[in-house]
Amino acid sequence: MNAIEAKTPKPVMGLYDRPMWESISARAMRLQRCRACSAWQYPPGPSCPQCLSCELEWTEVSGRGKILSWVVFHRQYLPAYPAPYNSIAVRLAEGPTMITNLEGAMPGADSIGRDVRLVYVTMPDGMVLPRFELAD
Amino acid sequence: MNHVQPDYARKHPSPRNKRAAAVVGVGHTDWVGDWARCRAGEQPTDSYGYGIRAFNNALKDAGISRDEVDGLIAGPTTAYERLGELTGINPRWGGQADAVLAVAQAVMAIEAGYAEVIALVYGNDQRSVGTQYGGPEAMGGGAFLSYVYHSPWGLTSQGALYALTLQSYKHARGFTEAEMGEVAVAQRGWSSMNPNAIMRKRISIEDYMASPFVCEPLHLFDYCLINDGGVALIIAEAERAKRMTERPVFIEGVGRFDLNRGATSLEPRIDDFYLPAQQAAAAQSYALSGLGPKDMDVLQVYDSFSVHVPLALEGYGYCGVGEAGKFLREQGIGPGQKQPVNTSGGHLSETYMQGWAHQIECVRQVRGECGERQVAEARHAHYTSDVAGKCFSIIYGR
Ligand SMILES: [Zn+2]
Repeated sequence: MNAIEAKTPKPVMGLYDRPMWESISARAMRLQRCRACSAWQYPPGPSCPQCLSCELEWTEVSGRGKILSWVVFHRQYLPAYPAPYNSIAVRLAEGPTMITNLEGAMPGADSIGRDVRLVYVTMPDGMVLPRFELAD
Repeated sequence: MNHVQPDYARKHPSPRNKRAAAVVGVGHTDWVGDWARCRAGEQPTDSYGYGIRAFNNALKDAGISRDEVDGLIAGPTTAYERLGELTGINPRWGGQADAVLAVAQAVMAIEAGYAEVIALVYGNDQRSVGTQYGGPEAMGGGAFLSYVYHSPWGLTSQGALYALTLQSYKHARGFTEAEMGEVAVAQRGWSSMNPNAIMRKRISIEDYMASPFVCEPLHLFDYCLINDGGVALIIAEAERAKRMTERPVFIEGVGRFDLNRGATSLEPRIDDFYLPAQQAAAAQSYALSGLGPKDMDVLQVYDSFSVHVPLALEGYGYCGVGEAGKFLREQGIGPGQKQPVNTSGGHLSETYMQGWAHQIECVRQVRGECGERQVAEARHAHYTSDVAGKCFSIIYGR
């Protein structure tokens, strides 16, 4: 199977994940923000872990973040991801941490702490993924 | 983030739990022989069969019959009821748990009077049936959302979760690649003296540095084995244990603390390195036992990946926070060095029994029956685990 045919691994699609993925497809990622305490959360869920309120509002993120950690896979595990490929952990400006990929460059020794911005990448099978590129 | 710990993190378990129970028998399967058979394409038995073989060996080691057992705890890879059916045990206390929780539950059930002699039985045919620890169908994905949630971005393996942990730990502490290599090298040093170990060829730091990355920064030697096998322990109420055997190994203290906040996004690992939970679990077990890291002749660390070891050295107080690299380099954890760690070779080199074999290595070191790898006059053995930020500390002693 080549990368053109390869299916992007399917996301976990619980009741609260669906609106997020719809916003990603529309290239304007929204996460839930708590109406009671203003905290943001990722992954989506039924309630706010900070204050237990169930009053949450889907709100577009700024797209700004910082790299917390990174890895490079030297083996292929998935048809959509030929080796080498990377994965990074990003702390969003809004607070939550997201596991994603770095676009445009492989991460390296100076990557942790770098500012990144959200980009939307269309995978060969048409799925849109939120990824990040270096902002500075 | 989990930096601020609540007041209850400093509370301690009841002193009644101290030496309330003792291990009276241990057993395991032929890991080396079954490794060869699995590699030749055979399926020696299934998870239940491995469990029963280990259970038979544990009964023999304890010198008791099955009919003395009034409690049964099954490992996570076999259904409790079917294991109970096959062991023929109608217990007055039963349950299902991973290795550390099984020992903790046995102590609690015994202390509370729900059972006096509990069999803990684990069997796993993970190699011969090709259990997936990564990928969209990853084992444990139902219980840990972090194991499956990041798959659209290609992050599907347990190794990747610990590679992210190691990378941010290296950055935060100045920990180096060669310091990480000390763990795999030391554990091979131990396993080279262990006839039950699957990987016995010694390696050097140069071998480690030259070995391929799998998920960088983790090298091949940082990964655990995947093999078939079983482990069983018989744990008895303390007074009964003394009547049953001349060499009971008491459970001096158990401590636990979990980090769940931010768990799906891996915050307990990549922000906190499990540290606050390890420190709280350590404090409980040290207060209960009246012992500390200096009293521990051997330390056994859950090592699905080598990075667990430096995290544990710092978290359970064997060195200062940020000093694990220096400790590994200058003091050492291998044979003849300052603090023996994973004296069987651990998951990296002996056998991957998901923490169960570490318990019997603690027991055997304290009994003094480890042959060439025996740590001289070992009185106390410490087991720690921190899987997914669920941190445990168990202290064994004579
Ligand atoms: Zn809230």
